[in-house]
Amino acid sequence: MKDLWRLLKLFGPYRRWLVAGILLSTGVVLANVALLALAGWFITGMALAGLGLGTINYFTPAAAIRGLAIVRSVGRYGERLVTHEATLRLLTRLRSWFYTQLEPLAPARLQHYHSGDLLSRMRADIDTLEHFYLQVVVPCAAAVLCALVMTAYLLHLNITVALALLAGLLLVGVALPLAAGRLGAAAGTQAVNRYSDLRAALADAVRGMAELHVYQALTRQATHIRDLGTTLVAAQRRMACIDAIGDAAAALATRITLWLALVMVIPLVTADTLGGPQLVLIAFFVLAAFEAVSPLPQAFARLGETRAAARRLFELVDAEPAVTDPHEEAPEPAAFSIDFHGVTLRYSDSAAAALDGVNLHVDAGECVGIVGTSGSGKTSLFNLLLRFHDFETGRIEIGGESIRAWRGATLRRWCAVVDQRTHLFNTSIRDNLRLAAPQADDNHLWQVLRQVALADEVAAMPQQLDTVLGETGTRLSGGQARRLAIARALLKNAPILLLDEPTEGLDAESERRVLQSLATVMHGHTTLLISHRLQALQQVDRVVCIKAGKNLAMSAESI
Amino acid sequence: MSQTQQASTARTGKPLERWLRTQAGAVRKLLLGSVALYVFDGLLLIGQAWLLARVIAAVAIQGQSLVAVWPWMWAVLVVFGVRALVTPPADMLAFEAGARVRLAVRERLVAQLQALGPVWARSQRSGAIAQTVTDGVEALEAYYHGYLPQIARAAFVPLAILVVVYPFDWVSGVIFTLTAPLIPLFMVLIGKGTAALNQHQWRQLTRLSAHFFDVIEGLTTLKLFGASRRQAAVVARISQTYRSNTMKVLRVAFLSALMLEFLATIAIAMVAVYIGFRLYYGEMAFLPGLFVLLLAPEFYRPLRDMGTQYHARMEAIGAAEQLVALFKRPAPTARAQSGSERLPQDVKLSQVALHDVYFAYESGPPVLENISLTLRRGKRVALIGPSGAGKTTIAQLLLGFVQPDAGHIRADDRDLSNIAQADWLARVAWVGQQPTLFHGSIADNIRLGVPEADAAAVRRAAALANAVDFIEALPAGYDTVIGDAGKGLSGGEIQRIALARAFLKQADVVVLDEPGASLDAETEALVAEAVARLARERITLTIAHRLATVRRADHIVVLESGRIVEQGAPDALLATASRYARMLAIYGGDADGATP
Repeated sequence: MKDLWRLLKLFGPYRRWLVAGILLSTGVVLANVALLALAGWFITGMALAGLGLGTINYFTPAAAIRGLAIVRSVGRYGERLVTHEATLRLLTRLRSWFYTQLEPLAPARLQHYHSGDLLSRMRADIDTLEHFYLQVVVPCAAAVLCALVMTAYLLHLNITVALALLAGLLLVGVALPLAAGRLGAAAGTQAVNRYSDLRAALADAVRGMAELHVYQALTRQATHIRDLGTTLVAAQRRMACIDAIGDAAAALATRITLWLALVMVIPLVTADTLGGPQLVLIAFFVLAAFEAVSPLPQAFARLGETRAAARRLFELVDAEPAVTDPHEEAPEPAAFSIDFHGVTLRYSDSAAAALDGVNLHVDAGECVGIVGTSGSGKTSLFNLLLRFHDFETGRIEIGGESIRAWRGATLRRWCAVVDQRTHLFNTSIRDNLRLAAPQADDNHLWQVLRQVALADEVAAMPQQLDTVLGETGTRLSGGQARRLAIARALLKNAPILLLDEPTEGLDAESERRVLQSLATVMHGHTTLLISHRLQALQQVDRVVCIKAGKNLAMSAESI
Repeated sequence: MSQTQQASTARTGKPLERWLRTQAGAVRKLLLGSVALYVFDGLLLIGQAWLLARVIAAVAIQGQSLVAVWPWMWAVLVVFGVRALVTPPADMLAFEAGARVRLAVRERLVAQLQALGPVWARSQRSGAIAQTVTDGVEALEAYYHGYLPQIARAAFVPLAILVVVYPFDWVSGVIFTLTAPLIPLFMVLIGKGTAALNQHQWRQLTRLSAHFFDVIEGLTTLKLFGASRRQAAVVARISQTYRSNTMKVLRVAFLSALMLEFLATIAIAMVAVYIGFRLYYGEMAFLPGLFVLLLAPEFYRPLRDMGTQYHARMEAIGAAEQLVALFKRPAPTARAQSGSERLPQDVKLSQVALHDVYFAYESGPPVLENISLTLRRGKRVALIGPSGAGKTTIAQLLLGFVQPDAGHIRADDRDLSNIAQADWLARVAWVGQQPTLFHGSIADNIRLGVPEADAAAVRRAAALANAVDFIEALPAGYDTVIGDAGKGLSGGEIQRIALARAFLKQADVVVLDEPGASLDAETEALVAEAVARLARERITLTIAHRLATVRRADHIVVLESGRIVEQGAPDALLATASRYARMLAIYGGDADGATP
């Protein structure tokens, strides 16, 4: 509940829109109830008057019936506009909030989210929260308001009927959906699991088609997929069955409430406590009243998802940033030398040390290669320099000043990075490059593309620099993407170059060209180059080896 | 989607709906049963209204007591009960229809995927295909479980009410008759409006989401370029623009919904007022008047509910479009091995040779030209060359996935294209660059080609593949369940499981595609050892990416732009100023050399 409350508070700035949507939604339901009840009352009164059994002022009710019809229709239009407006405002608010909260946490606290699976989970969670207002808040709040108003109105006619209606509304709107939810939970979980099994088996079948073919297992995989489909349907059948019975039970409860109301009111009419028109009014009132709770089953189903989604997202953004920035910054250093003095880093309290008393000195403008087996902590050196993580003990200096004296953003301005996690955005090549230098003109961009041996390939694309990359556009090969990332780093023209396996995944020819272009840039820049490729390491002044978080200095000759 | 694609969606809507209806043919009886029950429920609804009117009229006008109307009250209760018993089976029959269609369509899709074959599958994104075959097929559900029976009900109930109302009160009947056709008309307008909304706004929203998550995924990169704070404003601005654009569209789109709502509500109000006045002037009796008023909301309800069903239909049509596209993709029949010559089990092949082979995909330029090479039992042949040179195509030819356009491949003295596919596949094994491990246990994965193999055989194969140590170190050993795409296992471990698979099969011909990504030195040695063991005593072709493998080969084939430019023993090639020697210089420092 706490999470939902927090979510609602997040929507605070738009509370007027939220309340307006709820009120309109309530008004629309009540107008319909009033319309039908009044119509019933009206025709009975008119019939009695026609038979000479009473008198009636027919102008007011006849006008009111038409008025209510207009209120109902126009109200519905207003409700739709207002609730959609509110939803879209909330979407904007939610995304901005989420992004602002997430930004300081990247990448240290988001490491686990790099796998596509978790990212798509996050995507689904945000999606769920965006529908929270329209699909949960509005129907629930409107149902409560309607139930209160309707019960209050019936109270002044007859207490027992009012209570019967309230009980019926609670049964249909709350008890039955909850019961159905509980009964269907096991089947629901099973259906979700079988569904993802099925998806995985199908992806396997496409990805592993050659294997299935060669090992003559096509029929077996097809049978496996069919069996998964059958168990999925079995789980869905149980859910559908519970839903169908639940719907029928709700309809039955609605009608029984009407029946009980008649049984209660008919003696009152016989005793002349209530008139005939009131009997008809109550009958229509009760029948129409249940429209108020009809969206509740779906809202309840959504409520569970929303709570889980909100909890996950709040947990995510509530993490402490890995590094805190100083309030006052030291001035920019005159020269960009780098020093590690006995630096120790642990990614979590329980983990082994990723770096264990590392010492390293790099002169300004010097190029140092770093080698070591995977997991030896090479990349951790970069994470520390970029202030993505903080270190436990020791001291890291740039130009003789501790790096804790600057904000992370300032340090990152001085570093150009090429590494495995470089992301190319789903925009044009030009926009991707200009991320590094917003003012760069096309000539400059082409020049950099030539440096990384990508100019010819981009020139061959029909839209050249305007080529859109990624899911919605062209897919670059691994080698092209890497070279584009290098081009972007070159454009940044920062005093420090951090290169983490810059040629990994390139074929021999592209590797040669990329290294050539890197060699020209590395001159005059303080460079750290992580690589296990001999060719790459030929470009550096000296090589340092890291083993299990500890460094062994080596000269260039020793390799 | 571009405008032209949008237009094509509109054009193909009809055939797609026809396709959906064709699928319903097999479940016709279920659907008819469901509709029959819904129709019965509609009749009960009318009876229920009459009984209620009867009770209320007796009490309100004739002043009868509860005792006098008890028999009618009981009848009302019985109708309630029967209706509660009728609707769940109606729903379940429709569910069953939807379920059967889904199962049947999925089964045919899987058959179609397999018919399209491994060469096609290689160029596909497996996730996208899996999504079409899961989500796409599931989206059909609503068409059979919801749309079809509900539309039949929506057509029947108002008609039945009209038939009943006319004799009682022709004025209300006329009001119903005049307004009812307008509702489907507005429905179509709304449908068109929402379809446009669906296609346009929805796509915009998708793009908006895509942008948002692209930014989140690239957060680290944005930080590296100091652009992450700037993006917060961009995210807000794009969402704001989207909101104002969407609201402009919605204000108009909701207007037709307003008209619909207005029509249905005002019609009920008019019926009430007319009935009231005619009762007042004694032109009609109370019972029919009340009966008609009770039926009025029920008359419009199914027509209004059609809006939701229309959505279900649109979604199903959207899904059908993807499915039909997949079904329509022509299977490359001519490419597959279609011979019928049996390959006796006791015959051991001693060599496979390609003679003057030409090959091109579809109508593209030739991928292979004039390829002649011989693979002999026990001789290690390494195929090298830049990417795109045609190495994979040679492997596919050997596996029988594709047939040469000219020239032929001979296994001893048999032409490969004449040999029955099953017999040939029984003889070959293949380990790809990125072998696929399937959901299931490690043992099941090793057993892929020989499902009846016992535990001892599986262990023997694992031992030959140098995989025993790491498998048996796992808590569940051979029963360890493998996650998505081999999650939890390293590249070297996946390689060795795939090799164990090949060992178990005991094939004559082995095609190996070495992994391009670097393994650490120790793992690499284990894999290389297992590969060498597999190649021994077999007819082997290795697509080599590592210097070490190339150096160990007995025979090297250098491929460039679809032609063999050099072949021979490694030393002989090295002695001349060959391309192989040049390549060797570029390969220069491979992984093993650099790690001290």
